[in-house]
Amino acid sequence: MKYKDYYAALGVERTATADQIKAAYRKLARKFHPDVSKEKDAEERFKDVAEAYETLKDPEKRAAYDQLGRHAPGDEFRPPPDWGQSFGGTQFSFDDVDLADLFANLAGQSRGRSRAPNAPRPGQDFEAAVRLTFEQAFTGTEIEFDMAVAEPDERGVLRRVPRKVKVRLPKGVTDGQKLRVPGKGAKGVNGGRDGDLYLDITVEAHPLYRADGLDLYMELPLAPWEAVLGATVELPTPAGRISLKVPAGTHAGQKLRVGGRGLSRPDGTSGHLYAVAQIVVPTVVDERQRALFGQLKDASTFNPRAHMT
Amino acid sequence: MDSTSALVLDERGTLSVAQLVEQSGLSEAELHVLVDCGALAPHDLRASTWLFSTRCVVTARTARRLRDDFALDDVHAVAIMLRLRERIEALEQELRHLRSLR
Repeated sequence: MKYKDYYAALGVERTATADQIKAAYRKLARKFHPDVSKEKDAEERFKDVAEAYETLKDPEKRAAYDQLGRHAPGDEFRPPPDWGQSFGGTQFSFDDVDLADLFANLAGQSRGRSRAPNAPRPGQDFEAAVRLTFEQAFTGTEIEFDMAVAEPDERGVLRRVPRKVKVRLPKGVTDGQKLRVPGKGAKGVNGGRDGDLYLDITVEAHPLYRADGLDLYMELPLAPWEAVLGATVELPTPAGRISLKVPAGTHAGQKLRVGGRGLSRPDGTSGHLYAVAQIVVPTVVDERQRALFGQLKDASTFNPRAHMT
Repeated sequence: MDSTSALVLDERGTLSVAQLVEQSGLSEAELHVLVDCGALAPHDLRASTWLFSTRCVVTARTARRLRDDFALDDVHAVAIMLRLRERIEALEQELRHLRSLR
């Protein structure tokens, strides 16, 4: 196992008081927390600092850490043979876990949890970021994860084990939404409940559709004569092609609503699809078309800039 | 391998105080402060037992994360951070909406 110098990560002496450790951590959190930081590698730096504080803020874990002795950061080392026993009796397999796993699973954790070694402890919750295509979000999908989790085996020995998790996502999931997968976090200890898995959803941008909640927006390019005279156009919606009647006198930016063709959820609620009209003009016109446009110009009294005069 | 259904955390499901404590990692006293500050709203504030929408799990877990990440002792400060985050998120959503109309 590689040694990490938690005191150096927080920039404090090994003799620092609990208050000094907290003050040093707060300062670094303000500097590197991804929510507030503009520094490069802020997230990585914050993880290191948070890992160090997680152990040093708890007097019992700090004592356990101090008993590991002093090593150079990155040095391979093995804790003393009786190390686990003095802190709650958990045994460890030291080869396939890292220092953070060791302390995360140490019995007698902070936040008022029971300190008895055999008391039930809930399993840790996991969080995962999930990236979905627009189509997957529209129809619902099943995803599979490969995770490496540190959990005790049947003899209570802590090991880092690969875990495959299969999760069904309902249709109508939107960008930024959070989902909970019950019982798919770390296993509970001594009969405690299993942790949950929380999913942070990102939905990839689609070339045609943009979602706003359950509503969808798409651009609808129209030729000038279609906008003036009205037309029936074929529209590709996520659920298949439909015919859309464009009323005469449609102007650019006008939203044509296609009811119930947005995202829908399993409970039956659904959004609408809005086709936003755009007037596009041909870039190449032949002699005949030019003449026809000329006739239109002569015949028309329409002034699009009347409001400017 | 069995597949497990993911539950969307939105306005539709409901949770008791005990469930919210269990799923967020906040204490009941901290939840009360967040309700007093208006950061979390039960369905009926005057009911003898509070029920929350499952969406509140997202808010309460964010509160717990902010409390731990910034080592905050004062839940009122967490409530203010939540309010500011909500405003940022609402503005970002409005920006996305306006871009979708461009």
